[in-house]
Amino acid sequence: MRFFSLKRLGLVVLLVIAFGLFLFITTHARAFSASSGENSSAVSPPNWAVAELGSLAPNPVVTPPPPKTEPCLSCHILGQNKGLWTPLGRWILFGGLGLVFAFGVYRSASTWVTRSPWKPLNKRAAEWVDDRYQISEPLTKILKKPVPKYATAWFYCLGGITAFLFVVQGITGILLAFYYKPTPEAAYASILFIETQVNFGSSIRAIHHWCANGMIVMCVAHMIRVFVMGAYKRPRELNWVSGVLLLILTLVFGFTGYLLPWDQRAFWATTVGSEIAGAIPAIGDLALIFLRVGWNVSGETLSRFYALHVIIVPLATLAFMFAHFLMIRKQGIAKPL
Amino acid sequence: MSEDQLKKEDTIPFYPDHVKTEFYVVLGVLAVVLIIAIIGLINPVGVGEPADPLNTPAHVKPEWYFLSLYQILKKIPPMVLGIEGKVLGVVIPIILVGIILLWPFLDTKPDKSRKVYWIRMALAFATLVIIIALTIWGEVS
Repeated sequence: MRFFSLKRLGLVVLLVIAFGLFLFITTHARAFSASSGENSSAVSPPNWAVAELGSLAPNPVVTPPPPKTEPCLSCHILGQNKGLWTPLGRWILFGGLGLVFAFGVYRSASTWVTRSPWKPLNKRAAEWVDDRYQISEPLTKILKKPVPKYATAWFYCLGGITAFLFVVQGITGILLAFYYKPTPEAAYASILFIETQVNFGSSIRAIHHWCANGMIVMCVAHMIRVFVMGAYKRPRELNWVSGVLLLILTLVFGFTGYLLPWDQRAFWATTVGSEIAGAIPAIGDLALIFLRVGWNVSGETLSRFYALHVIIVPLATLAFMFAHFLMIRKQGIAKPL
Repeated sequence: MSEDQLKKEDTIPFYPDHVKTEFYVVLGVLAVVLIIAIIGLINPVGVGEPADPLNTPAHVKPEWYFLSLYQILKKIPPMVLGIEGKVLGVVIPIILVGIILLWPFLDTKPDKSRKVYWIRMALAFATLVIIIALTIWGEVS
């Protein structure tokens, strides 16, 4: 009867000690600086009386140190006067230790009261959920679904990489949206702000920029793979159609995202691009006005492209991706000849 | 052919075997993303001049994935067979995309042998070469 795994518990304890040591080392030196360190470095006002006395008497009277400010033990323990991150670190450290202690008490009491071996928490949680929603049977069926061995060749991962890059684009896009301002006055400045002021802002923007290109490349590579292997044939026609629509949506992402920095290149590329849409026979003018919100590229165009880029196209992409995956799941991966 | 007809020894379970492989793929992509992040710190993407609606730059170029279409539009003669070239340059790509979109309904014969793979590979390769050539032409011109 094993009540706990010593290996895992030891690891957790070691991690907590290491984290505590790290916090102690990084915050300890400053913990006392408020009372002694900083005062000694600060220039104290010259005590003229003592200076005069010193010239006369051999034993000058040293002025007493200033009275200590009211000590606040809880503030000290929480590290409230030591920088932005120290309180959070201490909350995590002491709160975590408290939780571990409470858990230990509960476990001891529980085994004592019920006179039965302790059941791990994850097992309890799974049983609790399964008792209410009966999810484990369908979940096992989904997870244990057999994948054919031929589908483990390298060229079968291209579509998966595209999907993962979409997730990367979503995350970095949300991070950029925290700082980006979609107005012609502020857009350019906010991009500059992201590039120069925001921590790792240029990294996030570089990832968003290059992964957008990578997503298109991967999309096309996946499409060529499917085309060459004839995986679009009956019964997978609609999967191909949804895939082509996803490629078009990816290109729309590229087109709408390109305008957002509001620099010369973006502005004139959008002008030319919407002009091309305007050359469509019969509905050209309608397409042009729909894209530009008027006859010229303006602040309204920027707002519209921003809404398309961050709300409408992502939602459409998600919907088509869901359909795409559901159909793959239902029909399985096409068998090569 | 659906997977129900596959023999047990020809398959691996989705979880944990296949998920593990996918996880390694994701880790690989994340490594590339990390490299891009470091490059971004050293050499940011940057922005050009702020937009000026009154000042048209000499060379306007779209992103590389629209460059081939743009090049077709730029190089098409003004009048082809009595139809305006610009209209033709827009309509032809739309028709091509429509054909690609509905391709499974045009090519409905089931594959008989591996030979069709090579035929389709050649077709895809030719298309790709044309697109890449147009893109490079658009990039240098």
